[in-house]
Amino acid sequence: MKIVAVTSCPTGIAHTYMAAEALEKKAKELGHAIKVETQGSMGIENELTSADVAAADCVIFAADIDVEKKERFEGKKIIEVSVQHAIKHPEKVFAKAQN
Amino acid sequence: MIESLKKVRQHLLTGVSYAIPFIACGGIMIAAGIAFVPMGSNGPDFSNAPVFKFIFDVGAASFSFLLPVLAGYISYAIAGRPGLVPGFIGGYFSGQVKAGFLGAILIGLIAGWVVNWIKKMPVPKYIAPVMPILIIPILSGTIISLLMMKVIGIPIAGFMELLTHWLQGLGTGNAVVLAMILGAMIAFDMGGPVNKVAFFFGAAMIKEGNFGVMGACAAAICTPPLGLGLATFIRKKLWSEEEREAGLAAFSMGMIGITEGAIPFAASDPLRVIPCIMVGSMVASTIAMLGGVGDHAPHGGPIVLPVVDHRLMYVVAIIAGAIVTAVVINTVKALTGKKAEKSADGSKKPDRA
Repeated sequence: MKIVAVTSCPTGIAHTYMAAEALEKKAKELGHAIKVETQGSMGIENELTSADVAAADCVIFAADIDVEKKERFEGKKIIEVSVQHAIKHPEKVFAKAQN
Repeated sequence: MIESLKKVRQHLLTGVSYAIPFIACGGIMIAAGIAFVPMGSNGPDFSNAPVFKFIFDVGAASFSFLLPVLAGYISYAIAGRPGLVPGFIGGYFSGQVKAGFLGAILIGLIAGWVVNWIKKMPVPKYIAPVMPILIIPILSGTIISLLMMKVIGIPIAGFMELLTHWLQGLGTGNAVVLAMILGAMIAFDMGGPVNKVAFFFGAAMIKEGNFGVMGACAAAICTPPLGLGLATFIRKKLWSEEEREAGLAAFSMGMIGITEGAIPFAASDPLRVIPCIMVGSMVASTIAMLGGVGDHAPHGGPIVLPVVDHRLMYVVAIIAGAIVTAVVINTVKALTGKKAEKSADGSKKPDRA
């Protein structure tokens, strides 16, 4: 599967990036292609382009706060989980995405 | 119902996430500005220290925006850009009537909902373009300001005064209870929602002039990663190699106040790790509270030492908490067996003697 994800936590310094790493690692293990945009306290990094979003089979929001520029994902299948869930159980997030 | 409460929480956290850097700049710069000048009866005396006055002014400026930003971005989270005006104005008035961060949070939510409600009003086509530029800002700004000044401001201001006085006048017994609750919350989900509530309480109180709450939180924040790192170091045989590596990473993260370093340990062995880190954090926060530790920055760990009141007690609190955490988790592991449910990287590993 081609997956795009956005991670975002309130303080934006640790969880955001830990979740991104966890998702990337697990995606590699499961054989999915993934691109993760982080929305931390530095703002948006590794921004998802409209091409990225259009090509994706599924969108994952691992966020405790509102995702910025949500309009990009209109019409796409979106899985919303908490940041903690993505860090602790990335495999469950991907299982949810496959359904 | 649960879904809408979850959404409300998400909007609140969005606003908070924009506000935190303002608290950091404000708290630290103000502390730095007044640390090196004599304290007169009317406040710090900057007559001979223009540089420190400047530093202080930067901090004060940052603080002056805190409530507008908090309310403004909560409103923005709910209603988008049209939410900014009533949110910012509402936050400003919350400061004016002394309703503080509670008032700002409430008015930010109300502002967002009011704007969403106005957006739904049917308007003639030729009015539609000026809705966001003229009508919404003026209408919502007025409604929100009236609400803040005349309706909700006064009871909330009263409550804030009560809260501040209660915190200041806390007898030792109640202070210990408060500290223990804060410590437990901070360690319970290491950066998750429960942790954030305690943390935000501490951070918001900095603006209100109470640094003790944040002081207790700051000691509790770094204790789980420091304690777990210490545990893997002092009894190496109880931990696998990746756990020891994770312990080193956790220790470094603890030094800079990142609780999340403890997560790998808690994720693989929650039933044993979480109670142990809660105990350690509660010890740290209680010692900090009893020692009068105050933290002027919305952050924890040894890294904030420069802006801490009663630094010695702060260090003592952290060291005590870390040692307690390490000893307790190692004792529990020694007594109940080294094997965790699964190892830190998520795969099942055989028990190692």
